[in-house]
This record gives sequence, C-alpha cells and structure tokens, in this order.
Amino acid sequence: MAKTYDYLFKLLLIGDSGVGKTCLLFRFSEDAFNTTFISTIGIDFKIRTIELDGKKIKLQIWDTAGQERFRTITTAYYRGAMGIMLVYDITNEKSFDNIKNWIRNIEEHASSDVERMILGNKCDMNDKRQVSKERGEKLAIDYGIKFLETSAKSSTNVEEAFFTLARDIMTKLNRKMNDSNSSGAGGPVKITESRSKKTSFFRCSLL
Amino acid sequence: MADNLPSEFDVIVIGTGLPESIIAAACSRSGQRVLHVDSRSYYGGNWASFSFSGLLSWLKEYQENSDIVNESPAWQEQILENEEAIALSRKDKTIQHVEVFCYASQDLHEDVEEAGALQKNHAAVTSANSTEAADSACLPTEDESLSTASCERPAEQTPSSDAESALEVNDAEATGEKENHCDDKTCVPSTSEEETGENVPTVEDTAEQPKKNRITYAQIIKEGRRFNIDLVSKLLYSRGLLIDLLIKSNVSRYAEFKNITRILAFREGRVEQVPCSRADVFNSKQLTMVEKRMLMKFLTFCMEYEEHPDEYKAYEEITFSEYLKTQKLTPNLQYFVLHSIAMTSETASSTIDGLKATKNFLHCLGRYGNTPFLFPLYGQGELPQCFCRMCAVFGGIYCLRHSVQCLVVDKESRKCKAIIDQFGQRIISKHFLVEDSYFSENTCSHVQYRQISRAVLITDRSVLKTDSDQQISILTVPAEEPGTFAVRVIELCSSTMTCMKGTYLVHLTCTSSKTAREDLEPVVQKLFTPYTETEIENEEVEKPRLLWALYFNMRDSSDISRSSYNDLPSNVYVCSGPDCSLGSDNAVKQAETLFHQICPNEDFCPPPPNPEDIILDGDSVQPEASESSAIPEANSETPRESANLGNPEEPSE
Repeated sequence: MAKTYDYLFKLLLIGDSGVGKTCLLFRFSEDAFNTTFISTIGIDFKIRTIELDGKKIKLQIWDTAGQERFRTITTAYYRGAMGIMLVYDITNEKSFDNIKNWIRNIEEHASSDVERMILGNKCDMNDKRQVSKERGEKLAIDYGIKFLETSAKSSTNVEEAFFTLARDIMTKLNRKMNDSNSSGAGGPVKITESRSKKTSFFRCSLL
Repeated sequence: MADNLPSEFDVIVIGTGLPESIIAAACSRSGQRVLHVDSRSYYGGNWASFSFSGLLSWLKEYQENSDIVNESPAWQEQILENEEAIALSRKDKTIQHVEVFCYASQDLHEDVEEAGALQKNHAAVTSANSTEAADSACLPTEDESLSTASCERPAEQTPSSDAESALEVNDAEATGEKENHCDDKTCVPSTSEEETGENVPTVEDTAEQPKKNRITYAQIIKEGRRFNIDLVSKLLYSRGLLIDLLIKSNVSRYAEFKNITRILAFREGRVEQVPCSRADVFNSKQLTMVEKRMLMKFLTFCMEYEEHPDEYKAYEEITFSEYLKTQKLTPNLQYFVLHSIAMTSETASSTIDGLKATKNFLHCLGRYGNTPFLFPLYGQGELPQCFCRMCAVFGGIYCLRHSVQCLVVDKESRKCKAIIDQFGQRIISKHFLVEDSYFSENTCSHVQYRQISRAVLITDRSVLKTDSDQQISILTVPAEEPGTFAVRVIELCSSTMTCMKGTYLVHLTCTSSKTAREDLEPVVQKLFTPYTETEIENEEVEKPRLLWALYFNMRDSSDISRSSYNDLPSNVYVCSGPDCSLGSDNAVKQAETLFHQICPNEDFCPPPPNPEDIILDGDSVQPEASESSAIPEANSETPRESANLGNPEEPSE
C-alpha cells in the first residue's frame, strides 16, 4: 500500500474535562462544531493530513477518552506522542490552574522531547472570561512553550494552533536529522521510513 | 475528585489487573455501562510496572500497608433490613518476604559531579580508562537534552532521599536477624568483604586510578524514569491467546512489542544460546552436523506429532525426559529440548505434555521473528492499561485510588445489588467483578494459595555477551533438587524501555517452595556476582555484576475455584491474580469465560470502528474517506490495516 503521506505525527489533547478538547478535535479534523458531544464514545483519535513545506503530514490526534475526569489517563496514551496540546477554558479558572498539574503529568509519562503548546479555548465567550489572555501568555512563557487563544465554536485560531505545533515538531525533527546526518548521509530521512528501519530491526507491532 | 460518580451502572469492576481490564473492555465494547475502580494509585494491581522510584514507593507502601486507618464514613448504617453486606478488605496481603539489596555505590556526592560531566567522552564506555567524571556522565541518551539533564538536578534530591529511607527500612527488616546485616550504605548479603559497608574509597579511587565505567546508585535514581519494572514477568507467545485478542480487538494499536532475540540454556556453569529455528540450527557452531540432522528431524516430527501416534503411543506413560532418551538425540540436544524449548519439568511432565509444549513453541516461531516470544515495550504493565483505554473509549468510567467498602446483597434474592464506596456513596449495578485480593478473610477463610517467588535484578551486562548489547533473552534453569522448581530468567535490555542504558533488567520467577530469596538466590549466585569496588580492578570479571536486587513472594490465586469462597452471590464474579506461567493465556481464558457469563451471546472484544474511516483529508478528499462521514459500524477489514503505521513487518493474518 503506497503511503499517502510523508510524515505521521501523533498528537495528544490534554486538559480538564469540559474545556473543549473534543470540540477542537472535531473543528480541526471535520470542520464541524457540535455542543452536544458529552463524551467521545468510540473514538480513539481523528486524522487530518496537512501540507507543510511541500510535505504531507498525517496528524493523528488522540483524545483522552474521558480518562482526564478522575485523572486516570493511562501511560500508554502518552507513549510515542510527538506533540501535546494543553487545553484550558478561559471561562474556567480551575482549568487554567490545572495546566501546571497536566504539565507535571506530561513530564512524568511522555517523552522528554515532546513539543507542547497551551491553548486557552472558548475565547468567543469573552463576557464570561475568568482568565485574561496575559495570564495565559505569562504561563506559557514560564514554561517556554507557545500559546494561543482559540475558539472551536467560532473556528478562531484552531488551524493556526495545530499547524504551529506540527511545524515545531517538523523543525525539531529536521534539526535532529541534520545532527545525526552530519557524517553526510544526505537529505532528511522520512520519519516513516526511519521509524520503519528501527522497527524492522527490533520492534514489531501487531497487525 | 470533585466530580461525583453516576449512581447506576451495568457492570462494576474492582481491580485493574489484566483479566479485569480485558473484561471491562469487552463489556464496555458491548454497550454495558462500566465503572472500573482500583484502590491503588496505579493501574494493573500485581500486573503493574513501575519506574525505579515508583517501585521504591510501592515497597514502602507495602510496608505501611498494615497501619491503614479506616477514616471512611461507616457503611454499616446504610445497610437496610432486607440487606446484608460483604465487607471488602483494605489490605493487600498478596506480597510477602520483600528483601532489597543495593550493591552499586550509593555515594551521593556523585550527582554533584554530574553537572560538569556532560562532555561526550563516551568512547569511555568501552575503554578501561575512563575517569570518575565520565562514569557519572549519566550516559547521555539521544532524547535527553543537556538542559533537562541539568535543570532537573535539584529535584532529584527528593527521590533519592526518599529511596534511601525506603531502603533503610527494608534492609533493616529484610536482614535484621541475619548476620550480614549492614548499614544504610551497601548491603551485600553473601560476601564478607570488609569494604562492603562503606563507600568512602571512591574519592581516593578517583584520584589514584582511572576506573572502568560503572553505574552508581545515584545514577539509577537519576535515570529512574527509564525503568519500567514488572511485578510479574511474562512474555507473549506469538500465537497465544493474548496476541490473538490484541489483534482481534485492535487494542494492539496502543502498544508496541519487541521480539525476544535469544533462547538461552545454562549448562555446566556456562550460558549458551539454544538454536531453535531452522536457521539457528544450521548456523549453530556448537552442534555437530549429526546433531543438526537429529534435532531437525525430531523438531519436524514434533510439529505434527499427532499424526504419528505410533511413534509416541508406547511412551505415553513415562516422562518427557525419559521419552527423549529413547529418541535419537545426544544429551546436549535432550537438554535443549527439555529445558529450553518445551520448558517442561524433568520429573513431572509426561511425554504428551512435552510434545504439546514443543509443538506450541515451534508453532509460534517465525510469526514475528526468530523466537516464539514478544515483550511489550515499557513493560507488561502497559497491557492492562491498553484494555482500560479501550474500555474508556467506549464510555467506561475510571477511578483509581478509589476503594470499595462493601458489596450490598439483597437477602431475599441472594443477589448483589450495589457497592458502597469510600465516600459512602451507594452505586447500583447488575454485575460485580472482583479481583480476589479485595476479598476479606471472612470470604477467603477456606482458600489455600500457592506462591510465586520473584527476583528483580539490575545488572551491568548481559549473561551472554555478543556483538549487540541489545538482546532480550529467556533462560530456564532446571530445578536442582526434588521439591523445587525450575527458575525462569528473563533478561531485558534498555531498548525494551524497561531499564536505563548500560544496564539490564533481569526477572527471575519460579513456583515457590520457600521464600523468594531462598528459592532464587542460588540461581542468582550462579549467574551473577555482587558488585564490589575491588572487583572492578580485575579486568575481566566473567559474570555480570549485580547493582541492585529485590526479592519478594507474590500470591498465586490462579487455580482457586469459585466455590472455595464463602457465600458469594451469583452475580459476583471473581478474577484471580497473575499465575506463574510464562504466557498470559490463563488471564485471557478467565476473562472470556466471565464475559460470557455477564453478557451471554455477545461477541468477545470485536474490532472497533476504525477512526481512520472518518478521515476528512486536508487538501484532497480521498474517495474512501468521504464516503463515511459518520462512524461506521464495526468493520472487520479496515481497522486492521491501520493498526501499524510505518511497520514493515506486517505478517499476513
């Protein structure tokens, strides 16, 4: 089967219940918005293929399956993630405070070089705002990661957010490849290929 | 935990071990409303894997287990007149005889030096002339950047001091009454070297003589996250029930696996590799041409032994080892077949058992690689969690650190109708699945358990060195005296994501006849040598050195029949803890049987709809993707295709 993409990135959405992770996911992958998603039954992840610098990148975006509610996210969820969206709700102070806890969680379970980004969602609901944009920006600066305010409902900055994260992963990947190719192995190696080489040598996953 | 739980479910599952998790996933997949709780703070119960610090806190928690004060609201007053309660236990009594030994240098000065030691003098790993600084250079790994390595340092004081105290307690308890009790520094149980207890010489060593690269306790603590230490040591048979289930249910997408690369044998004090595939046999240098032919002929027969009853019928009454003697096999080959391929007991296994085991082994060969076994990356503890994720994806609700005080039984119908949790909340359900360690003594008063003896070792090199340092090996050491059992040794390298670079994680397992240390230490002593400062100077120490060791006994409840428990209502189902066998077939069988009792006539873990069927492609909408904008019903073809992106080794189903 011919690959229809050059790279595959596994992305995660993390944050408190009800901050709009699933809505962001659906807005980005389907360009749809529906306030009645109560939980995300039966959906592991959604896919969207984007183009960056002439490369097709398949984004596989995983949802928490509701396991954030009692903080019981499985370690398997974090394995192999290349980018993580930390989402809070600008109308919910608590969800903002919890970002720190989620970051700690990531540090414990995810790969140490995972790209992260903070999103303040529901920015269309300015009248109910509890967390100012400045506080969001400051938190992001403290952790040295990027920040955007988004609205899945009004489709504000959703594309930008995922494209930014994908681009950052790409940059990191290229840098890594340049480092490892310094002995002159030629142009960048496709992640799918380089992964498969590793795979065929030791790993295997089940069909 | 501000959120309140719903007060009604179809199935409540208590315990997150492998069988419970499979059942939870299967029930949730079939549309049952599932609540899955565990009183522990982690998934998996006795099937869990821990980072190094996680393991130390597990040990600590185990020791403090005895003084749990029950502060929960009393449930007794909630029990109505027409009801009675089955109280659940709050203590985990499944682990016993825990003993910890640290052989690596515990000099904590070293992590002060680490900061300056991040230069890449890693030629030093192989050369004998590296300096102390290079030793503690924490073996930079490709994904650990300089900045994280240095900025994390202050925080590390906490885990290391934690660990220290945990160890002290352990040492005191473990070796308190023995003559080799030593102080909090280093504890070497079976050597009488003078320096064992003190690590002061390190400083002089640095100044005087350059030393071989070595791992210190501080490094193990620092790299503790790299460890994923399994409480039960198992492998997956590549055509076993668990693999089949993972594939069928598509839960395999949550995990990655590696092949076991070698089957080893221990004979006459030496570790050697066992040839088991056709290629191995032909490439083997240890077998003569005649032996190769004999072995191939015998293995080919075993593949289809059932078709040639005349060849073994006469030997059905004798043991497999006796039967092998009647075959045209040299003692060498008999040993390999009996202990390394069939992995059966010399005295207790019949000819049929042996032939069956050999056939199973051969049948599993070649599906994913040169040996019949797979190991999950990040450890065995990932697998229950993968099933839990599947359960959650279909709406199952998860609560860890959530204990259940009692089951509420309706007196008249003799059915369980609810649980009362730690907050006094009454939660109604139709079915209740309980892992047996949650039952109190009242329920288990007639139950007799077997025990499993376990050891976990961290070592500095492989038991059999080869060109590659990334081998995953299984070795069976046969029982030496009657009444004892064969010891299974599984050695994991760092690419299994279960231990830090430059170390090996070794798991020993056997059916207990005494305490874990009494059962396993003789084998440990045969294969390894305790790490000591002095031996470093001897250029070539033959055996791998032990840096750290843990022994414990785990309860094996796998053969307990349901009827041994007192007064269980018919809608309370019992799951057992892990058994001693190499595979997990038992857990899968148990899960499937109980699932069919809870949901008769339902399919067991059918493949879920493929998320990729709902692709909306960014720039060019693909035809097959656009057709399905709604979630399609379970489609047995497509989900499989997507299960392993970027994996070339897709064996055809």
